[in-house]
Amino acid sequence: MSFIKVLILKFSSLRTQTMASSDKTINTDVPEKDVFAIHFLQSLSNLTTQNPFNSPDTTNYRARKIKKAAYVSMAKAAGGSSRLWSRALLGRAAKENNKIVRFARRKRKVTWKISSKRRSDQRAPEATDRLRNLVPGGGTMETSKLMEETAHYIKCLSMQVKVMQCLVDGLSPK
Amino acid sequence: MSSRRSSRSRQSGSSRISDDQISDLVTKLQHLIPELRRRRSDKVSASKVLQETCNYIRNLHREVDDLSDRLSELLASTDDNSAEAAIIRSLLNY
Repeated sequence: MSFIKVLILKFSSLRTQTMASSDKTINTDVPEKDVFAIHFLQSLSNLTTQNPFNSPDTTNYRARKIKKAAYVSMAKAAGGSSRLWSRALLGRAAKENNKIVRFARRKRKVTWKISSKRRSDQRAPEATDRLRNLVPGGGTMETSKLMEETAHYIKCLSMQVKVMQCLVDGLSPK
Repeated sequence: MSSRRSSRSRQSGSSRISDDQISDLVTKLQHLIPELRRRRSDKVSASKVLQETCNYIRNLHREVDDLSDRLSELLASTDDNSAEAAIIRSLLNY
């Protein structure tokens, strides 16, 4: 109960949250749970204003909208364009809405991906490919980058799940 | 051989991939996954870690799906079962 109370106080005085940008060293810190919660609540309330929940939409349609809102808000909470997986997620979502998404150009060191990928993938090729399919944007990453992104993605996913579970518990009949 | 490696590092700069870095990341992943955290020993193979990671991610996706379904059902019903539910609904403009 207290978590929801704190959340309400923070949500009513919403300010844009800035996250520390991740530098080139391996950093897999994720924001606190309430950052995810605030983003999710905000996108949920946008959903309800667009399609009020008592309109005759099928439950399936609503659930899909909520699921999409969950992923988009998670990507935003996790830092938007500062992570490869969140960029890929937001780009994919925007493409579904036919929006043109422009991210600021980041200076990226050119790495010879072809030769380096083949060498480091020799260790566990199949599992790495499966991981690439699961992590957004994983198809073109180097293996070490993929691991880093996976760690961050897993942390953010579990945060998002916790937030959603809190909401469901709050709304469920006692 | 060494000249080839150094020429590669010159091109990739600070993001040179080393075996240590990869095994370090694999260990980090291992600590994140609940299944493997119990084992605690560092003798889990990299392929096992990757396999469990894939399973864990799939489970999390499934949980998000399931929770989205439940949320859509709960938000659609209009009865306020508790004060908390009423507050949440009002937060979401419903």
